[in-house]
This record gives sequence, structure tokens and C-alpha cells, in this order.
Amino acid sequence: MKLRPFRIALVLITSLIPLALIAILVFLGQYSWSAITFNGWHFLYGHIWNLGNLYADPIMQRGQLAPIGANYGILVFIVGTLLTSAIALLLAVPISIGVAVFLAEGLGSNLRTILSFVVELLAAVPSVVYGLWGYAVLTPLIAHSIGPDLRSTLGFLPFFAGPIGSGYGLLAASLVLALMVVPIIAATVRDALSQVPLETKEAAYALGATHFEVVRRAMLPTVRGNIIGACILGLGRALGETMAVLMVSGGALNYFPGNIYSPISTMASFIVSQLDSAMQDPTGMAVRSLAEIALILFIIAVITNIIARLLTGTSRNVSSV
Amino acid sequence: MSKQKTAYPVRTALVASALTLAVAGSFGAAPASARTINIMETGSSLLYPLFNIWVPAYTHSHPNVRINTQSTGSGTGISEAVSGIAQIGASDAYMSNTQIRQNPNILNIPLAISAQTVNYNIPGLNDLHLKLSGPVLAGIYDNQIQYWNAPAIQHLNPGVPLPHHRITPIHRTDGSGDTFIFTQYLSFSTPYWNSHVAYGTTVSWPAVPGSLGALGNPGMVQSVAQTPYSIAYIGVSFANEVKDAHLGTARLENRAGHFMLPTKATIMAAAARLGSKTPADERISLIFAPGAHSYPIINYEYAIVSDHQKDAEMGTAVRELLTWTINRHEGNAERYLRQVHFVALPARISALSRKQIAKIR
Repeated sequence: MKLRPFRIALVLITSLIPLALIAILVFLGQYSWSAITFNGWHFLYGHIWNLGNLYADPIMQRGQLAPIGANYGILVFIVGTLLTSAIALLLAVPISIGVAVFLAEGLGSNLRTILSFVVELLAAVPSVVYGLWGYAVLTPLIAHSIGPDLRSTLGFLPFFAGPIGSGYGLLAASLVLALMVVPIIAATVRDALSQVPLETKEAAYALGATHFEVVRRAMLPTVRGNIIGACILGLGRALGETMAVLMVSGGALNYFPGNIYSPISTMASFIVSQLDSAMQDPTGMAVRSLAEIALILFIIAVITNIIARLLTGTSRNVSSV
Repeated sequence: MSKQKTAYPVRTALVASALTLAVAGSFGAAPASARTINIMETGSSLLYPLFNIWVPAYTHSHPNVRINTQSTGSGTGISEAVSGIAQIGASDAYMSNTQIRQNPNILNIPLAISAQTVNYNIPGLNDLHLKLSGPVLAGIYDNQIQYWNAPAIQHLNPGVPLPHHRITPIHRTDGSGDTFIFTQYLSFSTPYWNSHVAYGTTVSWPAVPGSLGALGNPGMVQSVAQTPYSIAYIGVSFANEVKDAHLGTARLENRAGHFMLPTKATIMAAAARLGSKTPADERISLIFAPGAHSYPIINYEYAIVSDHQKDAEMGTAVRELLTWTINRHEGNAERYLRQVHFVALPARISALSRKQIAKIR
């Protein structure tokens, strides 16, 4: 039984990770419990976020001490988060798969190493840098060229018609998120593609497939599970991205986006921008409601991951990271 | 003793010397004589430009004090002063009664009198000073007045060719003293706004499609400059930036029905009317003051300070700094205040501030 201490130590260390997850969940739940009882289900479908009158005396409402008129509803932020992540993924996934295929199959080994390194480097750029670039370069670009061009070509769809505004909004946030998500998906898929067994490719060639058909019919289906896994990784980053979105999203409050150029707020960016204001609430209900937003974001991330697991469970993965 | 040879002599020597330097450095960091005191000031972006002018002048005469300034918004100023992270929290908003009850050790000390402008960006009309009133502004921020050539605005500005274009109202996303004084102006002048939105460092802005949120006064200036047909409230200490960006400044209707621009005379007129009502704890609103020449949006710039600092030395340093700032020949002198378009505290108010400063230990 020489291995026993080793096993125990191993079990303890590996259980730290699920324990940390559970600890975060428990902390968030416990900290926001008074807000959960105060807000109820209305939190999820209400679209007005009102801290109430912070300069009047707070009163007991629904069993908790809260400012008069306090009413928290986050539907606007849920919509903002889901919309930005969806559009970002819609833009990023085709591009990343194209990049991955090109890196894995279209280059000689020297250039492949260098360019793969560059793509992975893009993933290491801090999000604030993307936010600053978005703020300084992208938003004026959207206001003056990208926006009008989109409106003139796709303007028959109501989502692309309407006022363009100042460039801060859903389009800017989605583009910045797409930029941040592309290197993650591309690097993961490229890794998976490079590990497709040689026999699969050779068999496809032997059957007379062209290079493109080998990729499309033999390689991509093999790594389908990895692609979905990579997309979920990218989705996770997009859902939780805070600073970059905060700087380009326009900080909308209490209304839903009417078109793609409209200002929005996401859950993560809202927590950051509202934290100082929430601390002005002497009852603490506002900060706890922000913690409730964090809890919901956490739950959404967990649910999307579970869905991804279920999706990839049916297809065989290439064994990779 | 046999001579012990280490396997990697150079590496060991480097590590040993690095460690000795680190240990020696940590001991030698504090010289025996006058310790540097680090005072952290954070908060209002409206007071920030003035504090940045004060710091070099103060540290020139007090070389053992180092002052760090940050522009983070009045909400952060209040919360960091309450939590003790910052020694001085700058805020355009005084604390609420409940906040004072919860934190009885916190003082709200006025350092100067500032004001706020309402600025807009209408191509071709930024040189005119459009006349706007509290109810009109409330209507704009409430989605009831949606176009620049709405009858309510045209009525105040007869003969001005206002365009038929939607208005984009811009508000602050951070906890802001500017939001506080602007929404107080709307609340005091418009009963509907008072009952539905009220005032605060942050409010639940009514849904206006296309309205933007900006961070800090610099963010407000940038957003208005980049967004045609927009309107925003900006602190008067950013008047130079507003002028450089060629934004329009509105004439605001005061309680007597006259439309005023923020000049030294109009600010002092408002301060003279309401200043006498200032209580000992100096928490009072100066918004919508009576008087024919009063500018309606003026406020005290508060230093939010705890009356017990971490030690006697810090207490003395903070007291000396605050006393310097309200001194008519030092911090409150024209040569500093003029650069940010602020006005000095009247004698009675600076006496009250002095009494509060004396409580800091």
C-alpha cells in the first residue's frame, strides 16, 4: 500500500478545483440571498433597473430593508449579453475555422510555426487593449464608414436600418468580442486538425479526394467535437468579457436595442459600471443585486458548458487538449 | 575543514547577492529623518482638475507630503473615504442622512464652489447659447421631448432654426456628483421628474432609445463631440475642453425665470442667496437658488474625510492640506480657481469648514 499517501494527496489536490467552483457558487448565493428574496423572479424578466431614492430613508419592503422605489430587473442586460455573444460567435466561428484549416493544411512547416505563434499571441493580448483600440479606432469607423455601408447594403432588414448614432453599441461590442474569440477557437481547432491521424487523410486521398475534399469530408468531421468544444471556450470568454465591452458598448440603461448600432449593456460590463453607484446604497441591497447578476452570469456559463458537453458527448473527439 | 565546492558557483553567487540586496534594501527604505506621508485623494471628476493644480503648489511648500489624485467619480470618492482606502474622497454630492447615520465619523467639508453646464452638439448652432429650462431638460431625458425642433424648445428659442432631428441625451454611467446636481436641478424645477426619477449620484434614467452612457466628465465631453445632436451635463472645470471641442453651452432657466450662463457673477449670486442657510455639517444643496441673477446649477465641492485618521501624523497632514486648500491666499486664491472657473468659499462657509477640519485627528 505504498501508493496510498500519493493517492490521497492526488485526490485532495484534484478536488480543489470542483471545490473552488462550489465555493464560488455558495459565496455568491449566500451574499446575494437577501437580494434574491427581495427580487424574486421579477429580477429575470423586469427591464427597469432602479436603485430607488438613495437620499430618502429606506423602508422595509418584501421583508428586506431597501430604498424607496428600488426595483431591480436585468432582462436588458441578459439580452445584451446573449446578443453580443451570439453575434460575436456568428462572426468568429467561420473565420476561425478558416484560419485553423489554413494554418494546419495550407502552409509549409516554417511559416506554419510562425503564424500559429502569432495567432496564439493574439489570445494573450489583454482585453483592455482591445477595448482601447475599439474606443479609439473602431467606434469612429463604425459611425462614419462601416455603419453607413451596412445600412446601404443590408438596410432592407429592420435590424440593420435605423439611426447609426455614435458608433458605440451592439456592433462595436460584437466586433471587439469576435476579435478576442477568433484566436482561441483558431488555435484549438488548429491543434485538433494537426492531430487527425495520417491514415484518415491518406485513405481519403487514396479514394481520389482533392485536398479541399480531404479537409471538408475527412478532417473536419473528425474534429467536430473539438470545434464545438472550442466554440464553447470562445463563448465562455465572450459571455464574461467585461472591460473591452464596457468601453465600446455605450452603456444603455432600461431599453432594448432597436437595431445593430444601438447602445447596449451586458451583465459583466453593467456590474463594473454600477458598482460604485451601488455602494451609495446604505442598505446594501444594490450591491447584493449586483452579486445576484454575477450569480446568474455564472449559472448561464455553467448551463452553456453543460449543453456543450451533451452535444460533444455523441461524437467522437480527436484526443487533444 | 575541507573546502566545499558548490556545483554552480556563479548562479549561487548571483542568488546570494540578490537576496542580500533585497534584505538590506527593505531595512534601508525609510530614512531616519522626516517620513514621507502619502495622501490618497480619489473621486469627483469635477474637482479633479483643481486638485491637480493644487498638488504641485502644495508639495512645493510641503516636500514631505506626497499626494496621489484619481478621477473616479463622486460615488467612488464617498465609498473609498468611508472604507478608509482614500484619506480624502472628493465629491460634488453630500452624503445622505442614512449614510451619515451609518458613518457618523465622516465629515463633508466644502473646499470650493463649482458649477455645471449643459452642453450640446448641433451642427451650425453651437455658437448660439440655446435657452433651456429644467422642465425641458427633464422632458428630453424622459423621452417626452424627442426632436430638437419640438415646440417646447422652439418656444424658448424663437427665431432659431432648430433642426428636425432626434436628441441623443447622454448621462453618466459611474456614480457621479454631476448626475446628483443635474438631477437635483431637474427635480427641484419639475415636479413630475421629482416624483418619478428623483435625484442621486445614480438614477434610473428613463428609457430613451439611442441614449448613451459615458464615464467621467472627459467621457462626457468626448461623447458629445462625437455624437451630433446630442446633449450632456458637464462640470464647469471642463469648460476649456468644451470650448476646444466647439460644443454649445446652454443658458439655463433659474428660479426667477431668467436664462443664465455660468459666470463668476452668477455663481456668486446663487451662493450668496443659499449660503447663509448652510448648516454646521455643511450638507446643503445650492441648486435652483432664488435671485434674478443666480445660476441654477452650483454646488459645494466636498472633501469626504473621516475624523479619525490612521495615526496622529496622517491626521495632521490631512488637516494641513485641507486648511491650505480653503485658505483665500493659498488654495482658494483666484490664480488657482480661475483656471477651473470655480468660485472661492464665502468667509462664513470657510469658517464652518475650518471648524470641521479641526475635528480631524
